[in-house]
Amino acid sequence: MAKRKRTKIGRGETRAAWICMLPSLLGLSLVTYIPLLAVFVLGFFKWNGLSDPEFVGFANFVRLFTKDPYMFDSIKATVYFALVAVIGSIIFSMIVAILLNRKVPARGFFRAVFYLPYVLPAMAVYLGWSWLYDYNHGFLNYLITEAGGSRVMFLENPAIVVPSLALITVWLSGNLIVVFLAGLQNVPRIYHEAAEIDGANAWQRFWKITMPCMTPIIFYNMLMSLISSLQVFVPSFTLTSGGPGNSTTFLSYLIYRYAFTASGRLGYASAIAAVFFVIIGIFTMILFATSKFWVFYMGGDE
Amino acid sequence: MARGNAFASKRRNERIAKIVSMVVLVILTLIVIFPIYWIFRSSLMTNGELYAYPPSFFPPAWRFDNYAATLKEFPFWIYLKNTMTIIVPAVLGATVTATMGGYAFARLHFRGKNFLFALCIGSMLLPSMVTLIPQYIGWTRILHLDNTYWPLILPHFCGGGAFNIFLIRQFVMSVPRDLDDAAKIDGCGYGRILTSIIVPSIKPAMIVVALFKFIELWNDLLQQVIYIHSQDNFTIALGLSLFKGSLKSDWSKIMCATCLAFIPGVVIYLIGQRYFVEGIATTGLKE
Repeated sequence: MAKRKRTKIGRGETRAAWICMLPSLLGLSLVTYIPLLAVFVLGFFKWNGLSDPEFVGFANFVRLFTKDPYMFDSIKATVYFALVAVIGSIIFSMIVAILLNRKVPARGFFRAVFYLPYVLPAMAVYLGWSWLYDYNHGFLNYLITEAGGSRVMFLENPAIVVPSLALITVWLSGNLIVVFLAGLQNVPRIYHEAAEIDGANAWQRFWKITMPCMTPIIFYNMLMSLISSLQVFVPSFTLTSGGPGNSTTFLSYLIYRYAFTASGRLGYASAIAAVFFVIIGIFTMILFATSKFWVFYMGGDE
Repeated sequence: MARGNAFASKRRNERIAKIVSMVVLVILTLIVIFPIYWIFRSSLMTNGELYAYPPSFFPPAWRFDNYAATLKEFPFWIYLKNTMTIIVPAVLGATVTATMGGYAFARLHFRGKNFLFALCIGSMLLPSMVTLIPQYIGWTRILHLDNTYWPLILPHFCGGGAFNIFLIRQFVMSVPRDLDDAAKIDGCGYGRILTSIIVPSIKPAMIVVALFKFIELWNDLLQQVIYIHSQDNFTIALGLSLFKGSLKSDWSKIMCATCLAFIPGVVIYLIGQRYFVEGIATTGLKE
């Protein structure tokens, strides 16, 4: 009797669980994992989206590593952008979070200002910044000429365009600041008090207590901003069209151009997307592998 | 005496540190807000005024009629309506289905739960760019929904993304289980428990999910570029791109359009600010 009752409850629970999980299961399968497998399969086909797909074996992959005029420039540009953007964003947002974590007046206001750029639509953000970067009339070139320098082609000089775009990404890193700030507030106060009694100064307390406690959060922020920076697309599309030269033909933009503009080479673009997946995977794994040397988890508490 | 001096000098150092950090913070704040101010100030000037050297920090006259002129060429209201036609159902769908998924992960037992949870977390690390082409083929070649809003709306009815499911799960886990058990004893089914106990307790988290989803879709350009082709259906982002292309260097009007595009996001942010901070803090911290 008791046993039957329990299984009945169990069955009701299972049914409820599957009903609740149904949308998420559809999402995980149809929107995420099946397309992920499909991209690897499509990479073996030649297909313009109209005629029947034609199986070509490894031809796409061979081609993109040997003959493609954009591929290596594109990988270089993407990695370069991601490194500058991630390092810049992490350092900037950590500094701001540390400053905000002190007992400053009107902290809510300051935090709101730093978060504000993040809620502006990307398209408008890049358009606005292109005006600040304008060669003849842009504000930044006004500052530079006033300071006695010569004008800079922020978006037209292949040596400068990637850092220029990465700077906009740093400007947009308000969400990292909020995560860091929350992390700083969770550093146990008792550690600081104990260290202070032992005579540690603020500088020592920061490096010996705050930073180690913050490493899991730095790791989380680095991971998230790395993945999103490697996928940078909007600035190439709106401002630079991948140029000058190939200096901003980021991989996302290259995939877009092959798949969705005139040529419509869906199979070939899928092969690039598959390679792109592997590249992002490698960077993610490198980050995870290094984490055991610098990320400290406080034992037991959580 | 020496001890007192040490104390006093420590207090003085603290005060100096406080002032220095406040000054640095104010400077950084000004730097961050300056581009927005500059864009806004440029939207209130004529092109002649914009090209003057040195540039004036304040508009010589506040030409709000620039906006009226811009609105004649830039159908902002139609774009806004189109954008909202995508965002509102997508946000609702994501919030409801993420709540269901998060509840199941937090509270219910079912076979394969750990495996599915791992898949869910794993998909957070999966770049959306990689799955773009197969999704596109699915929507356009299999379902024939090219140039409609469906490909931009329906995916959000599928759990609303791993991040949001995870966020809801974290919040549901913080609701005391006793409440569920009490309701169960009173004869409530799982559906009733979800709607009348869990949902009221995690309302802030649901608002966070809705806000995140809004910002995510509000920021999107790539998906819209791929699926929307006819200008009647253009969103704000697409319209802005078109507008810039047609004007080239009429910066005064482009800055007006840019400012118009800023407004809805800022309004939503100001309304939901408290929830944003709470939500990000929770997801960033809990393992």
